[in-house]
Amino acid sequence: MTIKKALTLSVCSALLAGNALADDKVLNIYNWSDYIEPEAITRFEQETGIKVNYDVYDSNEVLEAKLMAGGSGYDVVVPTGAFLERQLQAGIYSKIDKSKLSNLGNLDAALVEKISSHDEGNLHNIPYAWGTVGLGYNVDAVKARLGDMEFDTLDLIFNPEVTAKLKDCGIGVLDSPAEVMAIAQNYAGVDPNSESKKDLKKGAEVLEKVRGDYKYFHSGKYISDLANGDVCVALGYNGDILQAQSRAEEAGQGVNVSYAIPKEGTLIWFDLLAIPSDAPHPEAAHRFIDYILQGDTAAGISNYVYYAVPNKAAEPLLNEDVISNPGIYPSEAVKAKLFAQKAHTARFDRLLTRTWVNIKTGR
Amino acid sequence: MSASKIAWINDSYAKMTRYNFFRRVNWGRFSVVSVPYLWLAIFFFIPFVVVFKISLSEAAIAVPPYTPILDWNLEEAYVTLKISLSNYLFLLEDDFYLSAYLSSIKVAAISTFFTLLVAFPIAYLMARTEGSTRALLLALVILPFWTSFLLRVYAWMGLLKKNGLINETLMSLGLIDQPLIMMQTDFAVYIGIVYTYLPFMVLPLYSALEKMDMTLLEAAEDLGARPYQSFFLITLPLAMPGVIAGCLLVFIPAVGEFVIPALLGGSDTLMIGRVLWDEFFLNRDWPMASGVAVVMLIILVLPIMLIRNSQGKEGAA
Amino acid sequence: MTSPQHTDLSQISERTNVQLPSWKSDAQPFVQIENITKKFDDFIAVDNISLDIYKNELFCLLGGSGSGKSTLLRMLAGFETPTSGRILIDGVDMAGIQPWSRPVNMMFQSYALFPHLTVAENVAFGLKREGIRGAEVKQRVTEMLDLVQLGHLGKRKPNQLSGGQRQRVALARSLIKRPKLLLLDEPLGALDKKLREETQFELINIQDELGVTFVVVTHDQEEAMTLASRIGVMNHGVIVQTDEPQDVYEYPNSRFVAEFVGSVNLFEGQVTVDEPDTVCVTSPEAGGELCVNHGISCAPNQDVHVAVRPEKIRVSETRPDQTYNCLQGTILDIAYMGSLSVFKVKLASGKEVRVTQPNTNRESGGRFTWDDSVYLSWDMDSCVVLTS
Repeated sequence: MTIKKALTLSVCSALLAGNALADDKVLNIYNWSDYIEPEAITRFEQETGIKVNYDVYDSNEVLEAKLMAGGSGYDVVVPTGAFLERQLQAGIYSKIDKSKLSNLGNLDAALVEKISSHDEGNLHNIPYAWGTVGLGYNVDAVKARLGDMEFDTLDLIFNPEVTAKLKDCGIGVLDSPAEVMAIAQNYAGVDPNSESKKDLKKGAEVLEKVRGDYKYFHSGKYISDLANGDVCVALGYNGDILQAQSRAEEAGQGVNVSYAIPKEGTLIWFDLLAIPSDAPHPEAAHRFIDYILQGDTAAGISNYVYYAVPNKAAEPLLNEDVISNPGIYPSEAVKAKLFAQKAHTARFDRLLTRTWVNIKTGR
Repeated sequence: MSASKIAWINDSYAKMTRYNFFRRVNWGRFSVVSVPYLWLAIFFFIPFVVVFKISLSEAAIAVPPYTPILDWNLEEAYVTLKISLSNYLFLLEDDFYLSAYLSSIKVAAISTFFTLLVAFPIAYLMARTEGSTRALLLALVILPFWTSFLLRVYAWMGLLKKNGLINETLMSLGLIDQPLIMMQTDFAVYIGIVYTYLPFMVLPLYSALEKMDMTLLEAAEDLGARPYQSFFLITLPLAMPGVIAGCLLVFIPAVGEFVIPALLGGSDTLMIGRVLWDEFFLNRDWPMASGVAVVMLIILVLPIMLIRNSQGKEGAA
Repeated sequence: MTSPQHTDLSQISERTNVQLPSWKSDAQPFVQIENITKKFDDFIAVDNISLDIYKNELFCLLGGSGSGKSTLLRMLAGFETPTSGRILIDGVDMAGIQPWSRPVNMMFQSYALFPHLTVAENVAFGLKREGIRGAEVKQRVTEMLDLVQLGHLGKRKPNQLSGGQRQRVALARSLIKRPKLLLLDEPLGALDKKLREETQFELINIQDELGVTFVVVTHDQEEAMTLASRIGVMNHGVIVQTDEPQDVYEYPNSRFVAEFVGSVNLFEGQVTVDEPDTVCVTSPEAGGELCVNHGISCAPNQDVHVAVRPEKIRVSETRPDQTYNCLQGTILDIAYMGSLSVFKVKLASGKEVRVTQPNTNRESGGRFTWDDSVYLSWDMDSCVVLTS
C-alpha cells in the first residue's frame, strides 16, 4: 500500500466517522420560546448521548421564512397546523417513519383525527401541544363595568355595546389576521374557514364596528398589560393569558386575571412536530419525537408550559391545577365547539392581509 | 503632519512611481481606494441585486418561495428568461402602497423636523461651550447609545403609558385629573423617533456649528441684524451642511422604521416598514416584498443623489 | 522694534495741517468716554478711562496685547457693557443701546466676512438690514466696491479672494451704512509689510474722502504713527498719553511711552538745576550732566530719567564744545542698515547707548570702527526728562 493510498483511506474513514457522528450524536431543534421543560432536554441528552442544539422563535412567520429559504439545518421544528398545511405544499417536510416511534400509542386519537384536516393521514407530523384562542380578562375591572354576568362570550370584544363600556380600561387583540378573522367570521355566523369575499366581509364588519374601542392589535403585549392592569380584556392564546394570570398573582397588586373559552366557539390550534426534508439528522429527530411521546416527558412539558398535550399516558402524571384547569384541558362539551383553522390560498391571504390593514388603520 | 514630512513623503512617492510604477504603487493605491467600493459592493450592491432579482419573479409555494427568472435544461437544450413586472404594476395600480409610502414619508418628515428642532439648541450649546462642559454634553448625547435600542423604547413605554411615570407625576401634582392617553398614538411615535435618532442629528450639526466663527455673528449685529436675523441669515446657512446631513441621517431610517411604530404607535399608523413585513410574512409574497423594498430605496436614494449633485455643482462653481 | 524715525513724518504733519485740529478747538467732542471701567471677574481690563474723540479724527488706540484697547473698542461697538461709566456718541448716551442700533460700524481684525455670501452680498448686508432694497442697494454697493477698487469682484466668494482684497471688502462692508463712527480692529494686521504700507495711505484717503471718524486699534506703533491724527497709548487698562503722533514721539510723558513708541536711551539721575526753562540732571550712569530746555514739576533731588532718541545723538572723534549732554565711550558694535548705521556705544559706567546715524554720503558709515573711542552729544531740545 502506498503512503498516498493509506492517507486517502484514513481521510475517508475519518469523514465517515464524522458523518456517522453527525447523524447519530447531534440534533438541531427549532421550537417556540418557553415551550419546553428545560430538564426534558437534559434528560434526552443523558439517555441518548445526543447533543441537542436548541434554538427558539416566537412566530410562525419567522419559522416559515427560514424553512422556505432552504438549508435551515434544523432536524425538528414545531409549526402550527395551518402553517404546516401550507408548507407541505412546498414539500419541505419528510414523512415520519412511525415504525420508529414506540410510544405512538400514547396519542389522543380523537385529537389526532382533528389534525388530519391539516395533514392528510397525518404522515408528516406528530402533535406536540394544543391550545385555544380565547378571552383573558381582569375580573374586577370587567365586573365593575358590566356587572355580574358570565364572561365566556365574544361579546366582550365583538359587541359594540359591551366594548364601549370596556374601552376606557383597554382591549387588546392579537395582531394575527387569519386567527382573529376566523373567530370573527364564526361569531358572525359564517364558516370560519370560508374564503368567500362575502364571508370575509361579514367578519370584517364585526371588527370594523368595534375597532375604535380597541387599544391595540398586538400579539405579545397583552401578557404584561393584562398582568399590570393596562388592558382589561384581551383576545389571545390560552397559555399566554395563564402566564399573565400567574404574573399578576406574583406581583400582588390585586390584579385578578382569568381565562375563558368563549361559548360561541373558538379556534383550537395544534403545534406539530415535523422533520424538514433536508434535516441532516433524521434518525436523531425520530428518537427525539419518540421521547416527547413518552407519558412522563409530555406531562412534564404540560405542567411546565401550561399548555395541553395530546397524550393519554401523560394524564395521570399531570399536576392537579393543570388537569383541572378548564382553560388548559376543557370539557368534552366545550371541545366539541372548537374549530381548527385551515391554510388559506395565496390569493385569500393577500385579500385578508389587506382587509386586516384597512381594519387596523381605519381606512 | 509637518510640511517637511509631507514633502518627504511626496518625494519618496515620486521615486517609487518612477521605479515600480505598476508593481507597487498603483496596486497599493488601488487597494486603498477600492476598500470603500468593495464594502459598498458586498453590503449594498449585491444584496440590492438579489432583492431586485426576486422582485422580478412571482410568488410560488416552493423553496425558495418564488419562481426562477432564469431556467434551463441542458438535455432538452433550452434556456428561458422570465421577467415579471407584475409586482411593480400592482404597486402602481393599488393606491394602498402609495398611501403607505406617503404616510411613512409624512411621519419621517415630521419626526425629522422635530428632531432638528430639539437637536439644534443642544448642538449650538455644545459648540459654544468649552472644555469639560463640552465633553460632558457630548457624553450625554452619546451615552444612551450604550444601552440597547429596544430597552430604551421600552423605557419610553414605561414613561408614556396610562399609569406611567409622566401621568402619575402630573396627577399627583394635580395638573391633570384624567391620565393623558399618550401610548399608541402618533405623538408617542414622534417622541420615540426623535429620541432615538437625536444623536444622528446633533453630531453633524455640532461639527458644522463648531467650525463657525463667532465674530461673524458680531459682524452681523454690527451691521444692523437683530439676533433672530443673525440666526437665520448667518448661523443657519452656515450650519446647512450639518442640517442636511443630520436630516438625511434621521429621515432615511425613519421612513423604513418598523420597531418604534410597532411598540409605541397605534394600530392605525400605516408605515411602509409594516407593509413590507406583511408582504413578506403574512402574504408570503417575497417578490412583492422585494418590489416594495426596491421602490422605497428609489424614493429615498433619488432625492439624496439630487441634493448631492446640486451641492457638488455649487462646490465646483 | 522697527525704527519709527524712518516713517516720513513730514507727511503726517502735512495732513494734520490741512485739517482743522479739532481737539485744539472748542468743538463738541463726537465721542465722549467718561470714566469707563470694565471688569471681567477680578480682572480690570479698562480702568476708569476718560477720552474725547472729535469729528473727522483718525484716532489710534496703541498698546500691547492685554492693554485693554480692544475691550474699549468693543464697548464702543456695544459688544461689551461697561462695568461703570458712560459713553456718548454724537451726544447720545449709548447705555442700553444694542450693537445693531448704534450709529457705529466695525471692521474686524479677522474681517469676519460671511463665507456663504458673495462679495456684493457681504457689502449689501448692512443696507438690507436697514430695509433698503433693489436699485439703491445695487448702486451703493457698486459705488462702495469701486471706492475700494473691487468693482470687478462682486460675484466672488470671500474664499476666492486674496488677503488684501478681503481687507478691502471688510472695509467696504463696514462703510456702506455711512456710519458716523468707524471702528477698526488691527485693520492692517493680517497683511504683509508691503501691502500694509500701501493700504495705510489708502485708508487715510478713504477717511478723508468720506469724512468718517475712525477709531483704530493697533499694537503696531509704526501703523499708528502713519495713520493717526492722534494717538492714545494704552497700558494696563489706562491711557498713558494722548497726543499727536509727533508729540508722542518727541515728548513722551513716561518711560513706558518712550520705550513703547520707538527706541530710546534712558539715563537715570538726580535733578540738580530746576529752572522754568532749564532742567539739569546729574547722571552717574551717563558720566556727566544732562540738560533739557523745558521745565518740569518735581521735587529737588528727585530720581528722574532723561530720554534721548538714538537718531538725536551726534557721534564725534573729538570732544564737542559743550559741557552738558556730552558722553564718552567706546564703540561696541556697528550695524550697517543701508540708509543708516546703528552704533552701540559702551560708556565708562558700563551703560550701552544706542545711536543711529544717517548715511548721508557713502563714506559716512565707515568713519568709525570697533573699539574707537567716541564722544556722544545732543542738543538741549533733543531730549526730555521723565519723572514717571
